[in-house]
Amino acid sequence: MAVLFPITDNAENLPFRNPLQKVGPFMIEFDKVSKVYPNGTVGLRNINLTINEGELVVIVGLSGAGKSTFLRSINRLTDISTGEIRVNGNSVTHASGSQLRHIRRDIGMIFQSFNLIKRSTVMRNVLSGRVGYHSTLRTMLGWFPKEDVDLSLDALQRVNIREKAYIRADQLSGGQQQRVSIARALAQEARVILADEPVASLDPLTTRQVMDDLKRINRDMNITTVINLHFIDLAREYATRIIGLRAGEVVFDGTPAEATDEAFAEIYGRPVLQDELLGGA
Amino acid sequence: MKNMTSPLSGKPSGSVIGSRIRFALITLFIIAVYYWSVQGMQFEGIQGTAGTVSRSILQGFLHPDWSFVYIAEGEDLLRGLLDTLVISILGTVVAAVVCIPFAFWASTNMSRQLAVSGSGKIVLSVIRVFPEIIVAILFIKAVGPGSFAGVLALGIHSVGMLGKLYAETIESIDRGPQEALIASGANRLQVLRYAVLPQVIPQFLSYSLYRFEINIRSATTLGLVGAGGIGTPLIFALQVRNWNRVGIILLGIIVLIILTDLVSGWVRRRII
Repeated sequence: MAVLFPITDNAENLPFRNPLQKVGPFMIEFDKVSKVYPNGTVGLRNINLTINEGELVVIVGLSGAGKSTFLRSINRLTDISTGEIRVNGNSVTHASGSQLRHIRRDIGMIFQSFNLIKRSTVMRNVLSGRVGYHSTLRTMLGWFPKEDVDLSLDALQRVNIREKAYIRADQLSGGQQQRVSIARALAQEARVILADEPVASLDPLTTRQVMDDLKRINRDMNITTVINLHFIDLAREYATRIIGLRAGEVVFDGTPAEATDEAFAEIYGRPVLQDELLGGA
Repeated sequence: MKNMTSPLSGKPSGSVIGSRIRFALITLFIIAVYYWSVQGMQFEGIQGTAGTVSRSILQGFLHPDWSFVYIAEGEDLLRGLLDTLVISILGTVVAAVVCIPFAFWASTNMSRQLAVSGSGKIVLSVIRVFPEIIVAILFIKAVGPGSFAGVLALGIHSVGMLGKLYAETIESIDRGPQEALIASGANRLQVLRYAVLPQVIPQFLSYSLYRFEINIRSATTLGLVGAGGIGTPLIFALQVRNWNRVGIILLGIIVLIILTDLVSGWVRRRII
């Protein structure tokens, strides 16, 4: 029975690691990274940069500038053509299947369309962030330890929707659904959160709530956060560092103070438009 | 009058005559096919006894043989209907489970090569080609007459249709949750379990229940070829022209089908 139904996972898979206890700085390194799509489109062009632990990096640029490619190459949802990406010292680019899954466990991801299982409960959705920590057999049976449930409830508490834990995800508003997906990344005990246009389908008020959640988690839990945004004022307000992409190239890399309107005009190749500002609130 | 074009075809006005000619040709062709079919059928007039036989059939239906509903020794209407119900339930369950791997095989978004899903689709089509009566006759030869042959016949035949419907369900799912699971470090099976299955299971169940409604109709006729169920006493009663018994059996079938439709329809509404 012990072999068939392992109750505890082996040491390296220890399911309950406190994200605040870390060994060494957790960095994301881009080393001469380029990406050319099969149809010839250039996604990324010779990117060399390092994202340090605890940074809140906002990636800006026109649509098609390579923001999504940049973000998705970090956890290899998109393969790069040349160069290497390292997360916490481990090569994402050359990782084998199981190595890659181990690296991915440390990287939570938040999507524009939330990507929740709409028919399942909020709890079920948050718990699904835990499957990488358990054996295939155990997860097939759906046996999550009580600690996972507690962890998920805590994660929901952090984004203020704990009371919604046992209702179906499709009963929630867009902002609440996005918070569920943030909670999923927290339950995953991720050390990095990648957010691909997390507020693009939300209204201005909800946008600020979600951005506040991300900022608070970044500060309080020291989770490195990389966000794709197209609102310039949001980028200035929330980022500790702004990276501007144009045609797959880094054309700006600096603090929000350095990211003046002129700098944005340079990133966009034209003056800033009104609809690139969220404004108000 | 330069722009006298049909808004749908967008072709110039010259094709109006062309379409009339086409219409006439199609009409001629249909008439020819119909004439040929009538010629092919040998019709030798209505039998002289038709009137009396029709009247006795009607008499039988109006005076069903109620004593056949329950006979202590067995071989009665209730047991026949129960047999039919069991055959269709088992056949549907067999199909609903067996077709799952076929469905994943045949759906285009579960494999990279189009050849994989294409071959899966061809296999499902081949299975669908055989009518269940033919499959039943084959299984009777293989496993002997009785309910088991009926279960196998329904099970195999239903795989063709359910596999196709399941595959279409899998093809229509939202790819987002899969991506979210992959990003969290889940392996292929875990992605299947946590991102794919929750999206498809309700639809799978609904299709299976729908197939069950079809199967219970098929199961009533399976007995006619010897594959168990209410069809067996029906064919015996027909052969000895026991119209009262035929009447009660048909009544029983109608009631059974209405009841199962009501129950299954209610359950399906609750699932989706």
